[in-house]
Amino acid sequence: MDYARSDGRSGALAIKILIAGGFGVGKTTMVSAVSEIQPLSTEELLSDRGVRVDDTSGVETKTTTTVALDFGRITLREGLWIYLFGTPGQDRFWFMWDELAIGALGAVVLADTRRLGDAFPAVDFFEQRRIPYMVAVNLFDGARRHDPVVIRRALAVPEHVPLVPCDARERESVKEVLLTLVRHAREMSRVGA
Amino acid sequence: MAADEDPEPGPLVRMFAVTGGRARPVGEAFDVIAVVTTIGMPYDPAGLSPEHLAALRVATRPTTVADIGTRLRLPLNITRVLLSDLRREGLVSIDPPAATAGVLNERIYQEVLNGLRAL
Ligand SMILES: Nc1nc2c(ncn2[C@@H]2O[C@H](COP(=O)(O)OP(=O)(O)OP(=O)(O)O)[C@@H](O)[C@H]2O)c(=O)[nH]1
Ligand SMILES: [Mg+2]
Repeated sequence: MDYARSDGRSGALAIKILIAGGFGVGKTTMVSAVSEIQPLSTEELLSDRGVRVDDTSGVETKTTTTVALDFGRITLREGLWIYLFGTPGQDRFWFMWDELAIGALGAVVLADTRRLGDAFPAVDFFEQRRIPYMVAVNLFDGARRHDPVVIRRALAVPEHVPLVPCDARERESVKEVLLTLVRHAREMSRVGA
Repeated sequence: MAADEDPEPGPLVRMFAVTGGRARPVGEAFDVIAVVTTIGMPYDPAGLSPEHLAALRVATRPTTVADIGTRLRLPLNITRVLLSDLRREGLVSIDPPAATAGVLNERIYQEVLNGLRAL
């Protein structure tokens, strides 16, 4: 069947998935594992915050703050792409998440069992905004395996939210995580949550 | 004067050359993965910067804002300002991403799942 477009839209679809989590938890690694382009390819100029534009001269007075934003792409077919955004975990970048979260299919919260608490702000963020999310527990070498039930309780993650182990370096493992997220998002859209 | 000039303008200098120092795009906000499509060519190409013209060329095939930024090696905010200029001139259309547009239906979810499995 051909989907002729009467609304003037191009017919191309881009889907956004966020990779969130604390400092050094493996966000960049996860984006790199599945992206067809080199991540870390973009830099966001912090123009909306902390930058003042002098109206008379049109010259910015404070413009030097930039922040790297991991950005990866998976082409599923011509005109259908998944974009992965690995967002900086530090608190001062929350405003970027606010913008990135709009129109996202969902989010992966990466957690490290050695520093579980670092995942909490991200879990909280997506809970509050009712954005479909899941928790992927990145199994670092030397980290002791934890009971998923214990992790779920520690992060106060509801029962219906998927929580799975992963290795952010392994393409197959990351693919499995993304499949889990998309299934979960579909489920959420069915129940109208 | 010339002694003060940097032979290779730094990225900030180049950004201001492109945007005229403007920090915000004109008109309705759009997403980093909004799809940009060139729908017209300027009457007077000389009136546009090389970056504007490069963006128009890239978007001949529907391309996301993020990808245009990467191709032009410009930060997203600057890319947005530039694309908003082109939209105001009626040279590009900018479509919101799937979830925002409310077009994520069962068929698309299924297509995404199949596509991911096939990777
Ligand atoms: N053993 C193991 N190491 C990992 C895994 N994922 C990431 N690493 C390593 O952990 C370190 C940090 O990973 P990054 O991907 O840079 O983490 P990040 O979340 O992007 O870090 P920031 O952007 O600085 O917050 C790197 O040295 C990775 O090689 C994993 O699944 N297992
Ligand atoms: Mg990183």
